[in-house]
Amino acid sequence: MDAINVAVIVKLEPDFSEGNVSYNPDGTLNRAETKNILGPHSAIAVNAAFYAKVKHGARISIGTMGPPVAESMLQYSQLISDADELYLYSDRIFAGADTLATAEVLKSGILKMQGKMDIVFSGHRASDGETGQTGPQTAWKLGMTFLGNVIDYEIDPESRTIRAKRLVRLQGIYDVVEEVEAPLPVFIAIDPSYKPKFNTVSQRLAYEKYQKEARHRAQDFKQYFKLFNAAQIEADPKLIGISGSPTIVYKVERIPKGKATRQAEIIDGSDQEQIRKIVAKMRQSLSTMVIK
Amino acid sequence: MEKYDVAIIGGGSAGLAALKRLSTLGKQAVLFEAGEKIGSKNISGGILYSKKPKKGKTHNVEDIYENFLTDKPYERRITKYVLHATSKDKVFSIDLTAAHEYEANFGCSVLMNKLNQWFLQQAQEAAEKQGGGIVSGVHVKDIRWEAGQTIVQTNELDEVAVKAIIAADGVNSEIAYMTGARQKFSPSQLYQGVKVVVKLPEGIMNERFSMGEDEGAAHLFAGDVTLDHIGGGFLYTNRDTLSVGAVYHLDSLLETPVEPYELVNALLRNPMVSDLIRDEVPVRGEIDKNLAKEEQMRIRFAVTKMIKTWTEMREAYHSKSERDRLVREGKYASPEEMEAQLSSIRDQMTTKYGMKFETDYVEAEYSAKLVPDGKRCRMERPYFKNILFSGDAAGRGIFVGPRIEGLNVGIDDAVRAADAVARALDKDNFDESYLGQYYSQSVGESPYTHDLKSIDKDYLKIFLDAAKDVPKDIINSKYGMVVKMMSSKTLRSFAVGFANILGYEKILPVIETVETYVKVPTELAERLGKSVSASYTPTIPSIAQRVAKLKFNDDSIPHIRVLKPTSEFMKKMTILCPTRCYLMEKNGVMIQHEGCVECGTCAEETEWSHPRGEKGINYQFG
Repeated sequence: MDAINVAVIVKLEPDFSEGNVSYNPDGTLNRAETKNILGPHSAIAVNAAFYAKVKHGARISIGTMGPPVAESMLQYSQLISDADELYLYSDRIFAGADTLATAEVLKSGILKMQGKMDIVFSGHRASDGETGQTGPQTAWKLGMTFLGNVIDYEIDPESRTIRAKRLVRLQGIYDVVEEVEAPLPVFIAIDPSYKPKFNTVSQRLAYEKYQKEARHRAQDFKQYFKLFNAAQIEADPKLIGISGSPTIVYKVERIPKGKATRQAEIIDGSDQEQIRKIVAKMRQSLSTMVIK
Repeated sequence: MEKYDVAIIGGGSAGLAALKRLSTLGKQAVLFEAGEKIGSKNISGGILYSKKPKKGKTHNVEDIYENFLTDKPYERRITKYVLHATSKDKVFSIDLTAAHEYEANFGCSVLMNKLNQWFLQQAQEAAEKQGGGIVSGVHVKDIRWEAGQTIVQTNELDEVAVKAIIAADGVNSEIAYMTGARQKFSPSQLYQGVKVVVKLPEGIMNERFSMGEDEGAAHLFAGDVTLDHIGGGFLYTNRDTLSVGAVYHLDSLLETPVEPYELVNALLRNPMVSDLIRDEVPVRGEIDKNLAKEEQMRIRFAVTKMIKTWTEMREAYHSKSERDRLVREGKYASPEEMEAQLSSIRDQMTTKYGMKFETDYVEAEYSAKLVPDGKRCRMERPYFKNILFSGDAAGRGIFVGPRIEGLNVGIDDAVRAADAVARALDKDNFDESYLGQYYSQSVGESPYTHDLKSIDKDYLKIFLDAAKDVPKDIINSKYGMVVKMMSSKTLRSFAVGFANILGYEKILPVIETVETYVKVPTELAERLGKSVSASYTPTIPSIAQRVAKLKFNDDSIPHIRVLKPTSEFMKKMTILCPTRCYLMEKNGVMIQHEGCVECGTCAEETEWSHPRGEKGINYQFG
């Protein structure tokens, strides 16, 4: 039985968590001041790959297109997944790429990874671009079966098949979970609600083992790291960067702020007084409420 | 179903020692720990001893963990051991270092979180080689025997089948309750311990206690700090913290209930203790209310950050090893540069932000636990079917006069349990007659068991020698005879022999009384004590503030159920619960389990279990 090979494509994104993000006076993102991290959706994809490692000892390769600083994000990805290979595709001519041109780079990069991939994972979308297209487009370019919104999956290494649960949102009506079975290889865009479950003692022991290995590896991540430029991944120059991008973002507008309807009141005084005042307020508003 | 050879339940010092030993013997074992990580639910006073008894052999920590003495995961070696009798501002001290060193290789102060983390690393590596390991965040909820298999059921994972189990799940051993291996311990068999960890920079501590880097002090307290209860207080020096706590007979507390934290507070307020724990504490200045809200906020944040920077830097500066490291790594050119920067931050704090520096003490963590009094509650047969009980779970804590040991007893038990299980695995025989009885006998032969059963006259002599300056008339007629008899060598041998024949348990009620713990020490201090004055009054946090500082991962399912809300015992829990989880309502007492530290004080009359895996209290020091 051959080992399972999985790849993850990840993205370096601004850290939107409180206290870390910085804005320009006009309300747009100050990219220079804001720290960049592994995107939250990418992190979920990395966790999904780690699940395959814990359950089946899968080999994990992680790839990203980005500037040289993205290597620290790859290091972090290795720390949470015990990845075996890290790939950074970096080249000036990649600049200005839209989702399609990005997908071209990722496709070429994945083909350069060691081993033939059984599963490629991507996040659901990026937190800065939000288009959710790079994953599906990469799948299409690779000619792989695409499974989107996957919330759970199990691999059968014997028959080389995968069973996946997909969360299908029928907007405004209800959500359904669709169970699909597909032969490997497949491309999975993981749903934000995905949470790996390790239900057996052996999985938990494997989890500990790989986590420990990951800490060791990440300390010395350069050993697992490969940097490729456009020529090295043999990407078609016509299909990458600006020239490969049929779309362009020419303007970003702020969403006008809605008028706040809530009223805030600051309550002062000692703890005792404050509590008393709040209770009085609550009484007051409750008394006007009709409880059915 | 997955199969493993051995399940160890509980990842404290005993459980980890069992895992390490079994793995070293080439056996496969899996350890289940309910806490989020190893160490998160463990607390101790605590001093860990390594013993060299005259008769028999104990399995010591350094025998199990080869790197213990080189890695030094402990805090400090205790080199000074003093008993203080207190009465108001007067203190009379008796040096008991000889008693502390009696039959000991060493005794060192420890903080459980750090220590158990170190044990974990050592044990895990060994266990992995045998296909075993440690699984944390998993709470064992049931054990059953089915078709020749022993099945362990948890809240979190699929069931596993094992051949034998070592139960090291602490004083409130759920394994013991669920199997009926033993009854819950009764209040007369338990001590309740409450502890606070106090911060104090290393260098300042060394100077204050006049000790070198690998020296440490232990101070015990009796007298009026007990608020008339049977028990006493302690203060141990750690590396850069102090453990200050109070340990009392639970039945003594039930008789005249007092809030456990008040017992610690009484100790903290004692002028001698106050003075030992004092430190320099930055106090925030008033922020001008007329400033814009944003500006007020900015100042508040800036001040918080400055306090943090100043505190961390000061801690590093006062630690020789940290100071050397920072200079070596090039963060600072010299210690002098560090000092200059420290004082410049301090200047900024006072001049720019109107802060003041006051003398006070810094509390880092409040904790509580029950301690089994092995003299009264050790399991005579510490097994049930193919389950072996070790350490606190088997009720094996040593309290003999000023001698307080638990960790080393647990480690010794665990090694004996591991050896018994390894022997059973070799023969594939897990019958009670082959496994349980063998273990029971091994534990029976342990020098610790011997110490729990009989008085050691040599130990007694050290104690009496240390107290020889005590005027005989203080010890009233009730004890005069006894002391006189014990002071003479021949009579002592005779008396101890007689007492041991009579049975240690029978004479305990005569020894452990309000008289010995409160009245005699108080009188001693009053008549012979030196006056001590503290330069300040410590600002002691309220229990709500203490609980608010603790880390919890609340379990939405209550793990304690009150059975008799109107019983006298439960009513007393409104006072005796160390974190005030019990409230008096119209229909009896009610529990709010959110602040529960899982000490088990209320276990006697409640349906008691630990929270599910990863839930509940998560101690940072321990």
